Amino acid sequence: MTTTTPTPTPDATASPRGSAPHRGGRRALVAVLYFMVPLAVVVALWQGAAVTSISPFFPPPLKIGANLWELLLGRGQLVTDAFTGDVLPTVGRTALGFAIGSAWGVLIGTAMGLSRGTRETATPIVEFLRSIPATATLPLFILLLGGGDDMRIAFIAYGVSWFVLINTASGVGTIHKTLIDLGRVFRVSPARRLFAIVLPAAMPKIFAGLRIASTAALLLAIVSEFMLATNGIGFLLIQAQGRFQLLDMWSWMLLLAILGLLINVLLDLAERRLLSWHRFSRAKI
Amino acid sequence: MDTVSMATAALARPRRRRRIALWRGLAGLAGLVIVLEIISRAGIVNRAFLPPFSTVVVEAVQLWGDPVFRADVGSTLLTYLLGMLIAAAIAVPLGILFGLFAPVYRAASALVELMRPIPPVALVPLVLLVLGSGLEMKLAIAVFAAVWPIMFNTLYGVHDVDPYAKEMARSFGVSAFGVIRRVVIPSAAPFVMTGVRIASSISLIVVITVELIAGGAQGLGAFISRERAYGDAEAYLAVLAATVTAGILGLLINLAIGAVERRFFGWDATAREGA
Repeated sequence: MTTTTPTPTPDATASPRGSAPHRGGRRALVAVLYFMVPLAVVVALWQGAAVTSISPFFPPPLKIGANLWELLLGRGQLVTDAFTGDVLPTVGRTALGFAIGSAWGVLIGTAMGLSRGTRETATPIVEFLRSIPATATLPLFILLLGGGDDMRIAFIAYGVSWFVLINTASGVGTIHKTLIDLGRVFRVSPARRLFAIVLPAAMPKIFAGLRIASTAALLLAIVSEFMLATNGIGFLLIQAQGRFQLLDMWSWMLLLAILGLLINVLLDLAERRLLSWHRFSRAKI
Repeated sequence: MDTVSMATAALARPRRRRRIALWRGLAGLAGLVIVLEIISRAGIVNRAFLPPFSTVVVEAVQLWGDPVFRADVGSTLLTYLLGMLIAAAIAVPLGILFGLFAPVYRAASALVELMRPIPPVALVPLVLLVLGSGLEMKLAIAVFAAVWPIMFNTLYGVHDVDPYAKEMARSFGVSAFGVIRRVVIPSAAPFVMTGVRIASSISLIVVITVELIAGGAQGLGAFISRERAYGDAEAYLAVLAATVTAGILGLLINLAIGAVERRFFGWDATAREGA
């Protein structure tokens, strides 16, 4: 999609001055240090506090990490059953729910953004439905679709779609009219106008929605696994809590934190690749 | 057409547009309600799964007469409000403090970036063990969920303040504290508000989720969870009605925050932009 932008903007990240490779390497190192040093400080403080405290609720972080390593990779095995039977299903359901919900959100959002009539007719309905806290609808999903995987995926997709829908509608709806008129003047076909002009122009906003949606997808997946589930990280977490296995519980929590971060990083990379032409795309959230 | 009538026509146009938008919106809502009602009454979908919309509305109104339900809604609202207040009281001062100095800003925003994607509900099992299923438990998780978006946006807003504006205030003899109060805070305020808006929707979701999962808790989520356990048609209707009530609650909160944003930050275009 980047190839179809009308004006080739110079890469905003390129260094304007010389000795770029040297400078870039050093800047990357500083950026990594800015992440690692605060993290190391926090982990060290936590470790110190946990080792000296007698509370059974707060095991030291290094022990949690080691335990997670063992839970996922086991001893001598390549991967454990927990990895294939629980972690992968959670990741799969999150990804599928996110994909379906995002596609649906972009579709409806584009329809709303393109036509004023549709937007004005649908806005009150959308505003009301998206105001229902998504997790409050989980019992309804269970009652309607049962306790299987399709229910969980539908639930994630439903909850995620609103973030994407709202942002797509706003992104498509606020494109400068001149851009669209330009396409008309050059007799670009409506389909190409949509894919080559409208959607790329709305992309920064769509990505803002996808960002929130991706974090929400993991949250909704876990919540759906807290209720009526037979597998998944959320299920393991609840089980560990029920059996008072605090170390395991912390390990699954750590895994969820890592997954959340990983999703964020992946989306960041995708955004950087697809939106490198857009100078202001990364100005806010 | 003379200029005066052209000007009045231009002035009248937005009002007319708004009226059209209002009618279309009402038509959309009415259409949806009628379709739902017909689908249910004609028996296209099993009536037990999709009761007529009118019955759900009647049930929602009747639920308000139930003191237990009102106490549940009150508990949810109280947790949400307290959570937002505590989160803002933590995140805004720290965000301003950390945002003022470039190296601290980078370290702090790196940490916030690490914490923000953690799903708050992952904490529920731990906090349940440590704090029980009372208000503190819900509050702890709501605060955790709301702190990061507010902190992130405050940090960014403070960091983003025009350095020339600060320089100018200083050269006019404004004290360091005065610069923060008169330049930094007003210019970062719309960002803080964006953070509050994002935190608000996450916070309400998290409060209701915690109530849903934690047995023995009070709140709208707990009400839904209890009714669901009965499993009969009447309980299902109550679940639907409570979900609609949750939606109305969310809508009112969204509208209130939107009104605050327009009233105080209408001058700032970014206040209404973004996620």
